[in-house]
Amino acid sequence: MRSKAVEIKNFTKKFGGFTAVDNLTLDIYEGEIFGLLGPNGSGKTTTLLTIATVYKPSGGDIYVFGHSVTREDYEVRKLVGIAFQDPKAMWIDKPIDLLKWHARVVGYSGEEAKRVVREVMELLGLWEHRNKQFYQLSGGTRKKVELAKVLIQKPRVAILDEPTAQVDVLSKHALWDVIKKLRDEGTTVILATNDMFEAERVCERIGIIYKGRLRALGTISELKDSIPSGDVIEVQYEASSLPGELLRELEVYGKVKHESNRITIYVEKGEEKVVDIVDLFKKRGVRIKKIMVKEPTLDDVFTYITGAKLRGEE
Amino acid sequence: MVGLREFVLQSFIVSQRDLKRFFMNIYWLAGQVAMNIADLVIFGLIFRGIVNPVLIPDYIKFITPGILCLSIFISSFTIGREVGVELRREVTHYLVSLPITRGALVAGRILGGVLRGFVYQFGFIILAVLIMGLPTLDKWLLILATSLLLATTMSSISITVSTLTRDFNLQAAIRSLVYFLFFFVSNVFYPEKAIAVRLGPAAPLAYYSPVSMAVNIYRYSFGYIQQVDLLFNLGGLVVWCIFGLLLAYKLYIRNLTR
Repeated sequence: MRSKAVEIKNFTKKFGGFTAVDNLTLDIYEGEIFGLLGPNGSGKTTTLLTIATVYKPSGGDIYVFGHSVTREDYEVRKLVGIAFQDPKAMWIDKPIDLLKWHARVVGYSGEEAKRVVREVMELLGLWEHRNKQFYQLSGGTRKKVELAKVLIQKPRVAILDEPTAQVDVLSKHALWDVIKKLRDEGTTVILATNDMFEAERVCERIGIIYKGRLRALGTISELKDSIPSGDVIEVQYEASSLPGELLRELEVYGKVKHESNRITIYVEKGEEKVVDIVDLFKKRGVRIKKIMVKEPTLDDVFTYITGAKLRGEE
Repeated sequence: MVGLREFVLQSFIVSQRDLKRFFMNIYWLAGQVAMNIADLVIFGLIFRGIVNPVLIPDYIKFITPGILCLSIFISSFTIGREVGVELRREVTHYLVSLPITRGALVAGRILGGVLRGFVYQFGFIILAVLIMGLPTLDKWLLILATSLLLATTMSSISITVSTLTRDFNLQAAIRSLVYFLFFFVSNVFYPEKAIAVRLGPAAPLAYYSPVSMAVNIYRYSFGYIQQVDLLFNLGGLVVWCIFGLLLAYKLYIRNLTR
């Protein structure tokens, strides 16, 4: 049986009257890459910041290798490293200075710190930017500086909050390999993202969080299997409005989601149903622009579970 | 529990960051040095011939220990400005997530302010020696203790003020108010007799100001005055220092962790 790296027990976080996270219970196992998937404002960052002892829980508790974030915060901080969603630096800071100082804080001596900082900066392609001031760096480079802090620290639990946001596609693939290597070296990784491709590519298990609540939890295949009908038919149509009768008729085939001029239908054996569906549109005089049958993605899983889209909904 | 050695090491590493940053604001630093020297030269030369010599026999020698005091006050106080900006930009999230104790973090920030004060004051001490003459060894120890107490007080108070509120405008207003109160309502530029006459009921503000207490000790140490109430002035600085430390610890931690 795998041991638990992080245990989140009935965790609630309120800011004044607003509940950011509501009664979250979740286990993250040692040595896995766990994805926390959800749109902006869903409670991902609040959860991660509480694991890193930046916030205190309003209710419940979180344990990192058995240490409570409320009662043993210093012990927890010795085990956890975090790459923040918004890079944390002052504009005049230089990456080399930031990282050298970080290395000293996490326990390296002067010479060791220089060596490890250079290694990590070269790995992430940051060395050429080492003496620039923070305001001169691109968004992607700033994110890499954040990730570099975690790689220098090599903590037992690494928290990565949207580590590849603003990073170009080529670098993204390289960073995913770096994250996997970190896991292979024994670090448990918690990765928050709203990029379902990243989640599918990197994470072993995923928790879907929406409006502060955990909506689903499992491996990627378990989550995809949670859509009972199995296939997804997506229809884009050309019309200013859709007859209500057509929507009701489509619901016979499965759960229907309607958004602007696009309809998503969760069906069984999509290839067999697609002809009938095209006929229905013809019968109601609605011209189809594009129709496709596909296997569900994590985005579909998210939409099916929450009724919302992963991107663009606060 | 964290051991004393670990606590000191962590605090020292935190302070190194603040000390290094101090020298990155090179234009501010140059402007500040120029302003302090201008204070000394302009006030000294102009008021030397104007101020009643019965009240102040030599205005340059009168103001030099005051500028010495201002130099450490101003430079230690800069730490608060950065703490305030960090709070606004949430850089504080990073600091409180680091594997160091909260106590070491606060101590490190305060120490950062103290080190800034000492480094900045060094040049003005040389200037003071050139103008006032060389103090004896026991007076040097007194100067050192005074500088340490004043720098710790100012560093702590500036951190406290910068974490009182998350509203940046309000924060800047309070910081300016506290800064100017300490700067002008003290005996740096005017003798205590004049303060008592001109400020009336507000005179105790200057009398009990840590800046005035430090100036009194500096003036004594550099031989401008022959005696000073050490119990009141040094004891007062110790009280200010403890008060500042406690306040900074409480408020800094309270405002960093939500």
